[in-house]
Amino acid sequence: MRIENHPILGEPEDAREVFFTFDGKQIKGREGEPIAAALRANGVLTHRYTKKLGLPRGVFCAIGRCTDCVMVVNGRPNVRTCVTPLAEGTAVETQYGAAARRGEAGK
Amino acid sequence: MKRYDLIVAGAGPAGLSAAAEAAKCGMRVAVFDENAKPGGQLFKQIHKFFGSKAHKAKIRGFNIGSELLAEAERLGVEVFLNAPVLGLYDGREILVRIGDETRHYKGDSIIVATGASENMLAFPGWTLPGVMGAGAAQTMMNINRVRPGSRVLMLGSGNVGLVVGFQLLQAGCEVVAVADAAPRVGGYGVHAAKLARCGVPFYLSHTIVRAEGSDCVTGVTIGEVDSGWSVIPGTEKHFDADTICIAVGLSSATGLLKTAGCEMEDKGPFGRLPVCDEYGQTSITGIYACGDVSGIEEASSAMIEGRISGAAAANYLGFLPDAALKARAGELEQALEALREGMFAPKNRGKIPDKTDEGFDVSMSLLTRGYLDDAEVAGYPGVRSAAGTHPVIECTQNIPCNPCQDACPKGCITVGENIVALPQIDAGAECIGCGLCVASCSGQAIFLVNEDIGGGLASVTIPYEFLPAPKPGDTGVCLGRDGKPVCPGEVLEFKSPPAFDKTGLLTVAVPQAFCGRARFWKREA
Ligand SMILES: Cc1cc2nc3c(=O)[nH]c(=O)nc-3n(C[C@H](O)[C@H](O)[C@H](O)COP(=O)(O)OP(=O)(O)OC[C@H]3O[C@@H](n4cnc5c(N)ncnc54)[C@H](O)[C@@H]3O)c2cc1C
Ligand code: SF4
Ligand code: SF4
Ligand code: FES
Repeated sequence: MRIENHPILGEPEDAREVFFTFDGKQIKGREGEPIAAALRANGVLTHRYTKKLGLPRGVFCAIGRCTDCVMVVNGRPNVRTCVTPLAEGTAVETQYGAAARRGEAGK
Repeated sequence: MKRYDLIVAGAGPAGLSAAAEAAKCGMRVAVFDENAKPGGQLFKQIHKFFGSKAHKAKIRGFNIGSELLAEAERLGVEVFLNAPVLGLYDGREILVRIGDETRHYKGDSIIVATGASENMLAFPGWTLPGVMGAGAAQTMMNINRVRPGSRVLMLGSGNVGLVVGFQLLQAGCEVVAVADAAPRVGGYGVHAAKLARCGVPFYLSHTIVRAEGSDCVTGVTIGEVDSGWSVIPGTEKHFDADTICIAVGLSSATGLLKTAGCEMEDKGPFGRLPVCDEYGQTSITGIYACGDVSGIEEASSAMIEGRISGAAAANYLGFLPDAALKARAGELEQALEALREGMFAPKNRGKIPDKTDEGFDVSMSLLTRGYLDDAEVAGYPGVRSAAGTHPVIECTQNIPCNPCQDACPKGCITVGENIVALPQIDAGAECIGCGLCVASCSGQAIFLVNEDIGGGLASVTIPYEFLPAPKPGDTGVCLGRDGKPVCPGEVLEFKSPPAFDKTGLLTVAVPQAFCGRARFWKREA
């Protein structure tokens, strides 16, 4: 999913490769890119499930406005992953409901 | 509380231009933007802009953004990022969130340049992952450098939909269709034609019936609408797709102006907008609005409006004498007026003329299918048959643009004083085949044709902004304006010198009979 070479923009700027976890699984991303970009590059589209109906949500605005992309990041729920930079070891989890991981209150 | 002569909310083209103009007059200026990167919409725009030299035409949006940012920084403007302005209050005080704190700043003058947000559209399945704003797709591919998906349906045929559609192709995605509920393509014909000749079909008078999929988008069904916007049963069409992009317009982000108590007025289809004087001053003295927040237009006009408001704020606080403001604003307004002419000007919204200003027929094929009909092309003033290599200009709508005229060292192309006029070929001037016009054309609407290169062949030169770069001898198929194969084509030359700024010139040999129809080239699979 990454655009390695682009006819207008050329090659992406160098960025350090970092490891982070998505629902406990270790995957690779680029340091400083939005978490949402790293997830999409790894084929992850669903960021959370809604509270009442459990419907999937993913990136919608990509600029921090709509809150569709929020996830549990380093244990903190409701983090907008489209505007939150990725770092080595960031722990990203699918969010279920308004504030929690699967099985916790809020589902 | 920290105090500035001018505080600007929003570091897009309008805000940065306003800040630079004011700083040039000696003001102490701070700009706040909620984004991590400055530039607003401008840094996502990787295409060459329209307009004239005064509007930085033929320069790509992100390069205009870099220049603007450098100018503001050179002039000492302080730019605060990750700094959303939460409120604008009496006495011209703002509340900003920086990190975990909220801070107050006082501005002796305030310019609100918060731009716009994308409109959304609800349809069954619209909340599925894979449905996103066209701007979101643009952010992902041009800023984050990640493909939003592999097969994309674009809803909306305005300039945003068309431009993002083409950028999706450049990023290596497939665009399965452009659909729009309106009966006519809403954006520039030249943008539509770029997509159509790559094989993207247009479905006007169509809307999305549903997005399919349970965990994410796996397909989409569109259907034709009747005059009451209801889908006509039996007209549904299904596409396999993993992404649906929505480009159904923008709305001015007027929140701050409203909290400040600036008077708003209902502008019909443009929404509720701030009441402003000629300098962008709102009903509250010392508070200005410019760019998309005061009415959706373009980056080119946003930058000029920003400069006008910046100069006006400088005048208000005594940094710029009345006469100097008048002179500066006069010159800027002239540049602004030039952009506000033509078929797509705000004042002509919703009207479809059947003739151009010059009296040529407006192409209905372009407006309903996204491409000029082969039979009608020869009727336009940019298209002439001639011996040797010569330009063929398929630019047929009155849009504010003239880089083609400036580009030609031989004076072959004339747009004239009025930049919305159609480019014409001067039959007396001799084309040397340099290709500068092809590379400078913001609409990728100019081709070079040599109708006879011997051996029953002709050559066609096409603007080409895709990877991998073609090589002489590569064989492939030429596509027509409608994106359908018309004939085989062998690459004679591909050149992309720095002066062409990434618009490559691809010259292919085609059987003579097809030189008037071959307009794109695809490598043999
Ligand atoms: C796909 C696409 C193609 C386009 N093509 C062209 C083109 O070819 N030519 C052309 O001239 N124009 C084009 N435009 C239009 C152009 O990009 C916009 O009209 C222009 O960017 C408007 O400038 P602006 O400064 O008013 O707003 P914006 O560029 O939207 O900038 C507003 C800024 O304000 C910030 N902001 C908003 N609210 C707050 C707040 N409360 N606090 C702090 N900061 C805030 C935002 O983060 C943003 O950075 C295109 C637009 C799109 C989407
Ligand atoms: S190819 Fe060169 S000389 Fe010929 S019309 Fe274009 S700019 Fe002019
Ligand atoms: S032909 Fe000229 S006026 Fe038309 S889009 Fe190209 S540069 Fe602009
Ligand atoms: S996608 Fe809208 S806030 Fe992240």
